[in-house]
Amino acid sequence: MSDAGVVRLLLFRVGNLLCATEAERVREILPRLEPTRIPGAPPVVAGIVNVRGTLVTVVEGWRALRQAAPAPPLPPAPASGSAPSPAPAPAPASDPMTGGGAGGGGERVGGEGGDVAGTTVLLELDGGKKVLGFTVDEVVDLLSVGGEALERRQALPGIDPTLVRAVGRRAGQLFVVLDTDALLTPILSS
Amino acid sequence: MSHTVLVCDDAIFMRTMISDILAQAGFEVVGEAETGSQAVEKYRQLKPDLVTMDIVMPDMGGIDAVREIVKQDPDAKILMCSAMGQQALVVEAIQAGAKDFVVKPFQPSRVLEAVQRVLG
Amino acid sequence: MDLSQYAELFLAESREHLSACNQLLLDWERAPANPAPVGGLFRAVHTVKGMAATMGYARVTDLAHRAENLLDLVRRGARPATDDLLQLLFRARDGLEHAVELSVAGREDEIDVAEVVADLDGAAAALAGVRSGARPTATPGPAPEVAGPITPGRLVQVTLRAEAPLKGGRAVLALKKARSLGEIHDVTPPEVAFEAEDFDGRFSFRIGGAAAPGDIERVVRSAGDVEHVTVGGEERRPAPEAPGPSGAGTPDARTRHIRVDLGRLDGLMDLIGELVTVRGRLNELAAERRDPAIDDVAIQVSRLSSELQAEIIQARMTPVWQVFDRFPRLVRDLARELGKQVAFRVEGKEIEVDRAILDELGDPLLHLLRNAVDHGIESPADRKRRGKKPEGEIVLTAVRERASVAISVRDDGRGIDRAKVLARAKREGIVDAHAEALTDDQLLRVLARPGFSTAEAVTSVSGRGVGIDVAMTRIRALGGSLDIRTEAGKGTTFVMRLPVTLAIVRALIAGVGPERYALPLTYVAETVEFGVQATTIVEGREAIVLRDRVVPLVHLRRLLGVAGDPPARWPIIVLEMGDRRSGIVVDGMLGQQEIVVKGFDAPRGTLPVFSGATIMGDGMPALILDAGGLV
Repeated sequence: MSDAGVVRLLLFRVGNLLCATEAERVREILPRLEPTRIPGAPPVVAGIVNVRGTLVTVVEGWRALRQAAPAPPLPPAPASGSAPSPAPAPAPASDPMTGGGAGGGGERVGGEGGDVAGTTVLLELDGGKKVLGFTVDEVVDLLSVGGEALERRQALPGIDPTLVRAVGRRAGQLFVVLDTDALLTPILSS
Repeated sequence: MSHTVLVCDDAIFMRTMISDILAQAGFEVVGEAETGSQAVEKYRQLKPDLVTMDIVMPDMGGIDAVREIVKQDPDAKILMCSAMGQQALVVEAIQAGAKDFVVKPFQPSRVLEAVQRVLG
Repeated sequence: MDLSQYAELFLAESREHLSACNQLLLDWERAPANPAPVGGLFRAVHTVKGMAATMGYARVTDLAHRAENLLDLVRRGARPATDDLLQLLFRARDGLEHAVELSVAGREDEIDVAEVVADLDGAAAALAGVRSGARPTATPGPAPEVAGPITPGRLVQVTLRAEAPLKGGRAVLALKKARSLGEIHDVTPPEVAFEAEDFDGRFSFRIGGAAAPGDIERVVRSAGDVEHVTVGGEERRPAPEAPGPSGAGTPDARTRHIRVDLGRLDGLMDLIGELVTVRGRLNELAAERRDPAIDDVAIQVSRLSSELQAEIIQARMTPVWQVFDRFPRLVRDLARELGKQVAFRVEGKEIEVDRAILDELGDPLLHLLRNAVDHGIESPADRKRRGKKPEGEIVLTAVRERASVAISVRDDGRGIDRAKVLARAKREGIVDAHAEALTDDQLLRVLARPGFSTAEAVTSVSGRGVGIDVAMTRIRALGGSLDIRTEAGKGTTFVMRLPVTLAIVRALIAGVGPERYALPLTYVAETVEFGVQATTIVEGREAIVLRDRVVPLVHLRRLLGVAGDPPARWPIIVLEMGDRRSGIVVDGMLGQQEIVVKGFDAPRGTLPVFSGATIMGDGMPALILDAGGLV
């Protein structure tokens, strides 16, 4: 993250944490897809999902960041004010630019009688060599910020400092730019 | 109507290249053979206007194939394809009834010249 | 013309010819008095030369030309093989192979073959010396005037173009054409000189008959490459070139072989894979809708995609000789180096496997063969002492078994000393300290431990560990298995079993609780149903007895940690890999289908019993169980 340039960040919420990652590492934003369990894998791994013919391993964001489990699946009645969205099982691709976080109300897709509502963000790992899914509670915004607006502060309550690359502020609220490589690489075997 | 050609060479590489040269010049490659005996057999079936014949092939060599084909059809128009250093074999092929020869490495213009000469 | 499009073809075909050379040289070495392989060698080198010349690879052409020269002399003289000659030809072949690879890679200037070229020329000169006088020599100098008695007819003097190749052939062609006009006399130099390489393209003759000088010139020129023709003292300037045929019309489709880059086949296979997945989805939709029109289309799509898939799998199938063919040479070289005598035989060369698998086979086989020569076969003296033939035998065999291929490496050497391996395994705590013997299976497991092959092992345990772990890992990664049979003093056999194709396989879909798993049919022997009361305990393991054979059971539910209780009666899938069997207990059998094998990023901790994953007809992923990990 250069200090001078402008960085585009994708903001998303996991539990009580407002997190961000560079938009260029985001391959795609998808509704939550029902995963197939991988026997033996740690609980932080939700399983594998089918993204248009490619198998992607998905990590549970709330477990990885030690947050509380998201709210249990909502009853069929729509949640306060948010329009019910149609949820076809394998949803079409959505561009990171427009995919989620329109306006304030977090999109709640998926979860048609399934387990947890939420969104899966496909992240590039290891310089784009691998792609992992990362579940978040909701995508909040796509921001462009000047490098100088980010602080290299790492100590922040509620999160392991080694996972924090920087801290920023949006509408008065702090967000952490995650070191996704540090967070996700150890989960893969090699 | 375009002339029909039978291409005989044991190397796919060579057959491909000769076929490409001839096809680009408007000839119709109607068959390929990898051995002398195949060449004789295919000549009988296809009655092509022209045969390009490699000298060194397994099974039956090109020169013997020329003899066989000329025996069937004294007017057969056979163009030998030879490599440098095959003077004696080329001479033998011509005596056996081949109408002309080209020497590898092939230049398309030379191949086409020779073909024109053979087809008269 | 753009030659680069032919480079791949050139490379592939040159490799084939050079591989054939290896085999021919080995054949010749085995029966030195039989000159039959020399003709094949000559042809192969000759073909490479012609191709290389066309590609413009001057150094390959030159080296091939010199090798060909030598081979031609050998062939004409029907000379037996000597050790020196064979070594030289092996070196020339290796040099050619190297030169071909470098040329195609655009690194022609790195080719250094000066030494082998000098040796080839030296050997050729020595042989030619023996045969000196057998062939006519050329007459240098200007086209001679005809001397001697005057014969009737016009004097025709011809000069061929300086750059014309094979001028002698051209001259013979000119004479032949001239003969159609009249009788030919006084050919100078004599026709036999045309066959010499250094004929300079100038010749003269007298022609009888009544043909006009213009006609004579035209006919002579029709031989091509004619610079000057002088008929009866009347000189003519060269006529302009005859134009080439006008390039009109496109050729019709021609039947011919093409070579396809493996990457393209892979791409095609991926697409077919997706098509198969979509087909599954379509079939399910059709079943839901119960619309006969959709049904019809679904059936047609099914049929077409199956045919397409079969065609593409077939296009990927490659005979094993493409990898096996380099081994005879390798075994020979290794045996020579180690002072062993080895007769090496290959059986089942024509068996076909998926190209992707074949490409992975080279290394494991190399390890096994090297072991067989180095540690299996005893020295000739040793063998004699034990009452064996001094020459050991190694056989490499490929056999098709159901949907798999078994490839074995068998030697008749000293076998593996189980007692020593056992002692060592005990010392390292690999087996129970009270174990009294090692089964073949245990033996292999000990040998395949990484690092087992220490220097001590090499000497005291006949070093069988060398590379076994490497081979084992590679084979397992391909969804295959490795087995060993060994008998002290009699020899050792390694058998690897591999699926015939990797990309799309037929699999059983097994249900365990709410989960589904795919089990490729490659190693499925049968499925049976048993109740809990029918099982027994054998050697501390739960098992069933099936036609007098004990089949140990693996409960998938327990292994994979699926919650809930199993049904009262268990479907059991019996897997068979070589001599080993295992019964996989599942909850239900959900049918058979073609599955497309895909990789996935396995998180740490993932149980080592999966070879990949696939996508089911409903779009959900399912993991593929690896038979090798279960048996």
